[in-house]
Formats: sequence, structure tokens, C-alpha cells
Amino acid sequence: MSKFSEFFKDERSKDTWGRIALVVLAAIILEATSFMQLRFLARSTRREAMTKAENVLSTTRYEIMDVVEQAEQAIRDNMWIAQWCLDNPDSLKNVTRRIVEDHTAVVGSTVALVPGYNKKLPFFAPYSYLKDGEILHTSLATEKYNYPAHEWFIEPLEVGMGYWSEPYLDTDGGNIKMTTYSRPVLDPKGTTAAVITADVSLEWLSKHVGRVDIYPEAYSILISRKGKVMMGPVDSLAMQYTVQEMAERMKDDVVFNKLVSDMLSGKRGTVTVNSPQQGKSTVYYAPVPRTGWSMAVIIPEREVFREVRRMGFLCTLLQILGILMLIIILLSVASSWMEYQKTRDVEIHLERELEIGREIQMSMIPKVFPPFPERNDIDIAATIVPAKMVGGDLYDFYIRDEKLIFCIGDVSGKGVPASLLMAVTRSLFRNISAQEDSPAKIVEGINHSMENNDETGMFVTFFCGVLDMHSGLLRYCNAGHNAPLLFTDHVQPLDVVPNLPLGVLGGMVFEEQEIKLLLDDALYLYTDGISEAENPRQELFGMERMEEVLHERRTAMEHLEAMKAAIADFVEDAPQSDDITMLFIHYLNDNTQNNNMARHLILHNDIQQIPQLAEFVETIAEEKKLDQALAMSLNLALEEAVTNVILYAYPNGIDGLVDIEAYIREDRLEFILSDNGKPFDPTAAPDADITLGVDERSIGGLGIYLVRNIMDTVSYRYENGKNILTMIKKI
Amino acid sequence: MEVFIEKENNVTTARFVGRLDTPASQEVAKSIEPILEDPTGTIVLDCKEMSYISSSGLRIFLTIRKAAAAKGGNVIVKDINNDIRQVFMMTGFLNLFEIQ
Repeated sequence: MSKFSEFFKDERSKDTWGRIALVVLAAIILEATSFMQLRFLARSTRREAMTKAENVLSTTRYEIMDVVEQAEQAIRDNMWIAQWCLDNPDSLKNVTRRIVEDHTAVVGSTVALVPGYNKKLPFFAPYSYLKDGEILHTSLATEKYNYPAHEWFIEPLEVGMGYWSEPYLDTDGGNIKMTTYSRPVLDPKGTTAAVITADVSLEWLSKHVGRVDIYPEAYSILISRKGKVMMGPVDSLAMQYTVQEMAERMKDDVVFNKLVSDMLSGKRGTVTVNSPQQGKSTVYYAPVPRTGWSMAVIIPEREVFREVRRMGFLCTLLQILGILMLIIILLSVASSWMEYQKTRDVEIHLERELEIGREIQMSMIPKVFPPFPERNDIDIAATIVPAKMVGGDLYDFYIRDEKLIFCIGDVSGKGVPASLLMAVTRSLFRNISAQEDSPAKIVEGINHSMENNDETGMFVTFFCGVLDMHSGLLRYCNAGHNAPLLFTDHVQPLDVVPNLPLGVLGGMVFEEQEIKLLLDDALYLYTDGISEAENPRQELFGMERMEEVLHERRTAMEHLEAMKAAIADFVEDAPQSDDITMLFIHYLNDNTQNNNMARHLILHNDIQQIPQLAEFVETIAEEKKLDQALAMSLNLALEEAVTNVILYAYPNGIDGLVDIEAYIREDRLEFILSDNGKPFDPTAAPDADITLGVDERSIGGLGIYLVRNIMDTVSYRYENGKNILTMIKKI
Repeated sequence: MEVFIEKENNVTTARFVGRLDTPASQEVAKSIEPILEDPTGTIVLDCKEMSYISSSGLRIFLTIRKAAAAKGGNVIVKDINNDIRQVFMMTGFLNLFEIQ
């Protein structure tokens, strides 16, 4: 396979090609639009140039016509005086003077007699002219000048009407370039007697007409009927050339020749010519009436399109810049998009893995309900409704050694770290509670293991409980979690010491609490995803609604389903922002009645409760048909043992319990006393010496002596923070 | 548990009615204070109506016995039932008291 096709097979290079194609497309679109714009601009510029040129052409023509008119007017006005003065030729210089004086366009004037008209003066031509602001007089009737040979004299006589001469350099009047308007003067008899003239300075004409200022390099030219330049872009040019001569120097002489012939024949038009000096130029030309002259305005193309070209250049520059920026933006967007896509892929992958991890975790916690179908002393249900993001709620429970060990927790924060911490917490809970059934110790153990975790700043609110299935004694430890609801004959939050959440402070000592559950008591544990479920109006679900839902009598599972439905109903279409986790424990063991072969009594560490022992022993004695004497001694032994616990295991002011279990066997009775007090071994005390006399007998020491004497076996152990005294009586 | 104390001539009789268990002993300790103040002559502890005694009860008896011994008094425990007699036997109290 060639490298090229490999390149195309590769995903990345496809992206690259795609990007290149995109840039090229953008460039083409940009280019096309600006090309069109420039075209439109050029067209309108050309149209504008044409209009301008036409305007200039016509104004310039008017200016010239104005001068022409002035000169012709001067002659018309003075024609009759000249006729009148023919008989008195000397006075003619007054006429010529007036013509020059009265008409600014006119720089010189003569009335030249036709040779031979006046017999006395065969040649006579008085000439007035303007020089340095003064009117001077001279005569053109000199041998050197020989006026009858001049065009201005010959032509009008020939055509018999007014005539504008070809431009010429007047050497007599002061070396000025001029054109002369001349007309024949007829005497009253109708004989041609003289020619009257008005000279117009080309320089003055040029000044009068002014420069063409539509474009800096545009100019106008005026040519005579024979093609002589009368007025050009530079004064010195005047009369230097004829247009025919100029045409010969042009490359594009076909077009140029046509232009020249058109102009000379008095046509009007526009033509584009190409000259080596100026490149392409557009020539607008039109004849000047009566004079035989032709006027042209020449606009070099580059002049017209200078602005367009400038804009084109700017446009192209901007486009290049634009495309460059486009490329840069495209590349950076594309690469950051790809970067984002990559990160996103990783994230999705990670999330998926964590979800799997979470599922594994969840699969390890009890999810099948009822979890203990063989038991009728507990109804338990739990649920987690996870929010969209991987969250950090957890619950767990299991029964070990006739104790229900359970927990609920909420990891601060959401997402991957929360989920991980949740998994860790659950594992720790399982591991530690496998050997430890004091909730405070379990909580402390988890907290201790999390100590190294504090740089994350995450914590777990956690509630751990251990419920003795027989006695209903619930010992619990709350680590910053919200208080569960306790259902006895009424609903109330369980009295909890807040403590700190897990993972906040390593080495913390957590306080443990306990309560006795009776038949039909229940405990509802939840995370704040429930109480803080929010509806679209940002109202919270709250405790009251929660208690209301739980008010009815239902099974644990029905309670949770009802709660879920109530929350769903409340939040409407608002998205679930937090995990919703609940655990409902309904205690159904009739621990107030005898049951099976075990009896259970729990006393507070209060001497006044001791009489309850008598009843306790009574029921056992009745069941086992024990005689009165044995019952009394069992009562006595239990009383002595319990009194010891009350007096020595619990220091003053500490509230505690004494747990008494009795197991009725075939051949013996077993009594197990346990308490959470300070370690106290009653069996370690020496026996009282009963042989001593009155004076030597001490007051104490009798209790444990009695216990030993009454019971067959007495043993003590300290285990899981408990004093455990086992007493066996054979029967 | 109730204690009735009567003093006639030189004989003080304390009649115990009910169970002399630990909480009862705490009350009885107060009730017998008059005897402890003047433990002379003959002190009769009438146990005919006493159904039970714990070590705390025994301690009450021992306290009276010790007080009387110091003042030359004589303590007689009267009419104990068999169960209580067993306890007295177990604890050597049978040797400390004159039992009638």
C-alpha cells in the first residue's frame, strides 16, 4: 500500500484533509465575493469616469465656446465702425484698440485693407495688441510681415465669412501663440474692403479653460482643424506637434488613426487607446462648433482604476489576512476540539468503568428483598435511586451473630471521586464490622483508615447501627449524618449526637448511643437527597412531607415505594440532583414476651430497677418448674452480679445498660450479663472469709461470694468493649 | 420492704416485711438508724415476714450486729425461712447471729 493511500486511510489525516478543504472552500468563497465586488466597483467606476469625462468635455467645450463667442462678438460689434472708417483708414486703429480694450479674450486686433482697395494706401493694417497690460500699436503692413500672405487674411476672403485660423506663433505682437478669428469687411457697396481680426492667446485660452481636475493625470487637448495641438496638458506642447505626428508614434496606430480622423472630421465619440507612455487611456472627444476645432479629454485607465486597484489590493490583503486567521482559528479550534473529544472519550470511558465499579459495589450490598425471608423478626428494605452523575450514597446491612449491622452514608461531592470514596467506605464497613460490633468502634475504624485521605477534602456523613435481634437493643453511632426517623408509638427523629463526618479528623473518638427497640418499632434512615429534593419552584421536599408519607402502616418495601412516588410527584420534571437513598428497618421481634428458649432483660444502671430481676427469674422458674429455693438463689445471684455492674462498671453519672440473657437448656441455665461499662472483673475479687467473727468481718465482698456459691460456673471476659459475665447453673 | 421498729423496755424489735433486696436495703439503712444510735439491750430482728435477702440486706444485719457488739448489745434473728437460712448458712451468718 502506498504511503499516500495510507495517509487517506488514517483517521487523523482525513481530519487534516477535511480542514484543508474547508480552508480552500472558505478562500474560494471569499475570493469569489470580493472578485464580484471589485467587478461591480470597476464597472461603476468606469461609468463614473465616463460621466465625469463627458462633463469635463462639455464644460471645457463651453469654456472654449465662450472665448470663441467673445472674440466673434468683438468682431461683430465693431464691424460697422470698421466699415464706417474704411474711408478714413487712420481712424481704424481706434477700432482695433477698442476691440482689444473691451474684450479680455482678445489680445490683438487688426483691420487689414485688401491690397489695392485704397489707392493711396495699397497696404494698410494697423494692429493693436496687449503687452504687459498696455495696449500698443503697430502696423502689419511691413515688407517683412507681408500680411496678405497670412492665412488669417487669405482664408476669410476665400470663404467670405468668419474664419478661425490655425494656431501660429506671432512674432510681431510679442511672441505669443495664438489663433485668430478674422472676417471680411465689406464696404457699403458690397466690395470686400478689408479683413478684421481678433487674436486669442492660446496661453490665455488654456488658463481660461483651466485644467482638467477630475483625475490627477487626466488632461484635455484641443486641436485645430488641421490637427495642430492648440491646448495640451503642458503649454509648451502647444503647436509642437500635430496629432497625426503623435499618432505615428503610437503603437496602437490603427485605433489612434481612427481617433485622429474622427476628431478632424468633427465627430464625437469615445475610444480606448494604448500608448507606450501611459498605457491604456480612454479618450472622449467632441468637436467645437464653428471653429473646426476638436476637443478631447484623455483619462489614463490606470488613473480611473487607481482607487479600484487600491481597494483590490487592500481587499486581497485583508483576505489573505482573513484566510490566515481562519486557518489559525480552524487549526486551534480543531485541535482543541480533538483534545476535548479525546478527554471526553477518556471521561466517558472512566465514567463507564466507574459505573461498572459501582454496579459491582451495589451488587455486593443487599438488593434482594426481603433479604432474610427465613426471619419473621425483621422487615427491612433499602433503595438507592442514583442521580445522573455517578454519586456517592451507600447503604449496607447484614446479620451476624444475631445482630443486624447496618449503615447509611453520603459522600460529599459527586462524580468519580465520590464514587470511589463510597466504595472504599463500604469495603471498610464490611471489613471492620466483621469483627467489631460496637458502632462507635466501626465508625472510628473507618475514620482512622480514611485519615490519609484528607488532601481530597472529601468526607462522608455516616450512620452505623447494630441491632441486637433478640433484645431489640440498638446501639448506634452517628458521624455527621442526618438523624434517622424513629417510629415508636409516634414519629420523632432519633436522638443523635452529631459527631463529625468521616474523613474530617483522624483519630476522632465517636460517641455511641443506644436505644431499646420494642416490637413494631421502626427506623427510617435516609440521605439528604430526599429531604432536599427540589421541585421546579425550588421548594424542598422537606421533613414534613417525608413524615406524612411514612405515617401509614405499610411494609418496609411499600414505605420506600411510596416515598419514591411522593418524591417523583413533588419534583415534577426537575432533574434529580442527588442520590436518593433510604433504609427502612421494622423490628418485629416480640422481645417483651418469652420466646424460644432465650430470655432477655435489659436494665438501666439504676439500683431501683433490680426488682425486675425477680419477675425475670420467676418466669424462668415457672417455665422450667424450678423450686422456690432455687429460684430465690438464682434471683440472688443475678441481683448480686447486676449490682456489681451498676456499682463498679459504671462510674457515677454515666447512663448505661445491663443486658441479661438467659438460656434455658435441658440440664442447665445459662445467664449472660453484659454491659458497656469500664472493664470490671468481679471474679478477680478475693472471696469473703466467712469464718471470721463479727469484729473481723468486712462489710463488702459478699455479693460475688454468693454468686460463686449459687452458680456452678462463673466466668468473665472483656470483649468488644463489653464486660461479659457468664453464669451457669446445673439443674 | 417495710421495717417496723418497736422498743419495749430493754428490747428493740425490728420487723422486716417483704424483700430485702439492694434498693430496699438503701431505704432500710435509714430506717434502722435509731437502732444504730442506741444498740444496747436486746435487738430482735423479726424475719417472719421477710421473703428474700440479698448481700446488701446481710450487710444491714451485720452493721447492726457490729454496733451492738461494740455497745454490749445482743442481737437475735427470729423466724427466718429456710431459703434465707440457706443464705445465712452460705455466708457464715449463722455463726454471727443468735437465730431463734
